[in-house]
Amino acid sequence: MTDFMEQAQETFVNESLDLLQDMESSLNQLVDDPANDELINSVFRAAHTIKGSAGLFGQDAIVAFTHKVENVLDRVRDGEVAITAPLVEVLLECRDHIEVLIEALGEEPDPTLHQQGEALLAALMQQAGGDGAATAVESTTQLAQTDDSVVVSREEGPQVENDNWHISLRFHADVLRNGMDPLAFLRYLATLGEIVNVATLVDQMPNVEEMDPESCYLGMEVSFRSEADKQTIMDVFEFVMEDSSVVVLPPRSKLSEYTDLIETLSESEDERRLGELLVSVGALSTHELEKALSRQQLDQLQHPEQHPRLGEILVEQHAVDSNTVTAALKKQQAQHERKMKESRSIRVDAERLDQLINLVGELVIAGAGTGLKAQQLGDEDLLESVSLISRLVEEIRDRSLRLRMVQIGETFNRFNRVVRDVSKELGKSIKLVIEGADTELDKSVVEKIGDPLTHLVRNSIDHGIESAEERLAKGKPEQGTVTLNAYHDSGNIVIEVSDDGGGIDPDKVLAKARANGLVAPEQHLSRAEVLRLILEAGLSTKEAVSNLSGRGVGMDVVKRNVESLRGQIEVDSELGAGTSIRVRLPLTLSIIDGFLVGVGDASYVIPLDSVEECIEYEQLEKVRDHGGDYISLRGEVLPFLDLRTLFGERKDRDNRENIVVVRSGGAKAGLVVDELLGEYQTVIKPLSQIFSKLSGISGSTILGSGEVAMILEVNSLVSEAEQRTLHLS
Amino acid sequence: MSGKTILVVDDSASIRQVIGMTLKGAGYDVIEACDGKDALSKLNGDKLNLIITDVNMPNMDGITFIKEAKKLPRYKFTPIMVLTTESQDTKKKEGQAAGAKAWVVKPFQPPQLLAAVSKLVLP
Repeated sequence: MTDFMEQAQETFVNESLDLLQDMESSLNQLVDDPANDELINSVFRAAHTIKGSAGLFGQDAIVAFTHKVENVLDRVRDGEVAITAPLVEVLLECRDHIEVLIEALGEEPDPTLHQQGEALLAALMQQAGGDGAATAVESTTQLAQTDDSVVVSREEGPQVENDNWHISLRFHADVLRNGMDPLAFLRYLATLGEIVNVATLVDQMPNVEEMDPESCYLGMEVSFRSEADKQTIMDVFEFVMEDSSVVVLPPRSKLSEYTDLIETLSESEDERRLGELLVSVGALSTHELEKALSRQQLDQLQHPEQHPRLGEILVEQHAVDSNTVTAALKKQQAQHERKMKESRSIRVDAERLDQLINLVGELVIAGAGTGLKAQQLGDEDLLESVSLISRLVEEIRDRSLRLRMVQIGETFNRFNRVVRDVSKELGKSIKLVIEGADTELDKSVVEKIGDPLTHLVRNSIDHGIESAEERLAKGKPEQGTVTLNAYHDSGNIVIEVSDDGGGIDPDKVLAKARANGLVAPEQHLSRAEVLRLILEAGLSTKEAVSNLSGRGVGMDVVKRNVESLRGQIEVDSELGAGTSIRVRLPLTLSIIDGFLVGVGDASYVIPLDSVEECIEYEQLEKVRDHGGDYISLRGEVLPFLDLRTLFGERKDRDNRENIVVVRSGGAKAGLVVDELLGEYQTVIKPLSQIFSKLSGISGSTILGSGEVAMILEVNSLVSEAEQRTLHLS
Repeated sequence: MSGKTILVVDDSASIRQVIGMTLKGAGYDVIEACDGKDALSKLNGDKLNLIITDVNMPNMDGITFIKEAKKLPRYKFTPIMVLTTESQDTKKKEGQAAGAKAWVVKPFQPPQLLAAVSKLVLP
């Protein structure tokens, strides 16, 4: 395979996977909206395109399988086969199979795959009621093209002297209008051999006043020397064969053939005889005869008028009422407006985008450096131009980050399948409601959020939604509802998985947590704190352990995953009414708005969205007891951490200390710092693997001055502060 | 531009890629469009020597595109070649009725495509 075919095959794989994604979401929507032509069309088109491209790469297994699926879809489109839930089911499985086939590209062919495919097709045919042999056109290639053997009769009659082929051409009047240039065919013919002689016949040319410059009146007699066989020469004229007359006579044909030819052509009437004659001498293929016959019928139709072609052409040209076309077009445009937007997009390698965003990050840092220098110099003009540049840089930063934003809808749609499959497995009837599908977030976040979300959705179905009997007994609708929602909230994106199931019983959770030693017997927890316990390892309240959600190891893994995205989880539940779990994520993983603080000699960055307020340390009533630190903030107990002690920074300056109040989940804590340096655009540089055990720090950034500042991880700092307060009580 | 220019219309990026590379390799200039609507927007008055179009496409199918293109005086005589699949003989007929007199049957190998193209346009 050539290089570019390999490249193209890569494109094929990506494009097919995208199409399969579309196909799946359309199929899922079809269940609720079986009459939607748009959806059926998009499913058909996906299969059609995949088949077409797969053929190009010689992927016969994919072509064969997809072809059968396409046939069924075609019949669905024509209204012959009705959309039913079981049909959609099988089509989804077929879709999966195509995906498997595509993913198996380049691997050794696996015979079991073929068997699976056959089994699926059988199931599909059963749902679609037979394979509709009439529409499944298996007719292989052009039947019209017959054997290319050159039969040259040498038995009787004088033969022509020369060794040249003779080609007799009578172009149809419309040939120019069809975009065909008779000269182009001659030029292509010349690539197969040598054109010895061309005679142009102008007999058909009318008087100047009657002549239509757009029509072709010419005929040609060509003497051609070539080693090519008859079929190859015939194929040169493949595209004009339908309505023009093309006769190819092999070298050393009988003279009589030429005589006949000349006779018939000069009168251009008795082509039937010519056809039969040439077939009988074996120089004519059935294809040629067919053409001759249809041409003759056409002639008969046209006979009554003397110059019928021009008139007919005019009628043909005006045959279509242009108003009708425009109206139809408008309707189509409106329907596809939304789809349009998608296909206008450019596919860019994710890595290139990452590179761009990295560079933008560097630009932000360098810009901050320049700003700092300008400030030190105090040059007015310089400061002004720096501020202009930094505005532009900010805009570039925002726009390039937006490049990586994708709608979450596609991720959400995948859950249709999960919900259907899992609820079927459990024998529950569950509906998935999707809201906020057009909410955008960073692609790198989308990729990583899939697994935790799947876990949450499965949890809802498995543990959340009660069995049908239980629901009916409680006076709830038999069908349970799981809702996926996404929305923006103060610089974060919130993804919410909620169900109308049984809810979480806080007493049970607390009892279990006490039994497992997670909570000390005398410890008192608020309701929110109790609910958050379900995120801890080794806690599951559902007595029956199902194969779906595991043994309570799930939620802590979800929590870890979300925290690795710098996100937080909030749990909200009402016993008997349902549970709602909110995952709060930053919009992007690479650049954040930070709050820069100074501690000792070093600087630290606190993510701005977790900063609540800043207060002066001295002003507050400080209580120190048992080594624990907490203050009373407007009567509320606020634990705090002294960052200087925590990170072992030296205190050699006598700054006025401040407390930054930060929030994580439902909890607050204070961080004691030396200096407040203000807001700072922070480009996150991940920490190397060896620092992964470090608690309290999530990454680093480079300041304008070139110094490195650590980015604080508020979650763990807050819980650290809480822990200390707990010990104290 | 000294070469001959061909507009390739197909919703499948991989097919566009294969056709594009094949034609470029043979010395043609290639313009790509992803559907009929996109293709119409690329008929901007510049000379085209050939249009190759798929039939089944979103937004605007190949047949509608051919009919629309044929209405434009500048492209009235531009040869149009349709990419057809064997199973869609009716589509081929429809394409011919709309004004596409040449065709390439999918799946094709690059040499087949080149042969078909050079019958209409030599590079």
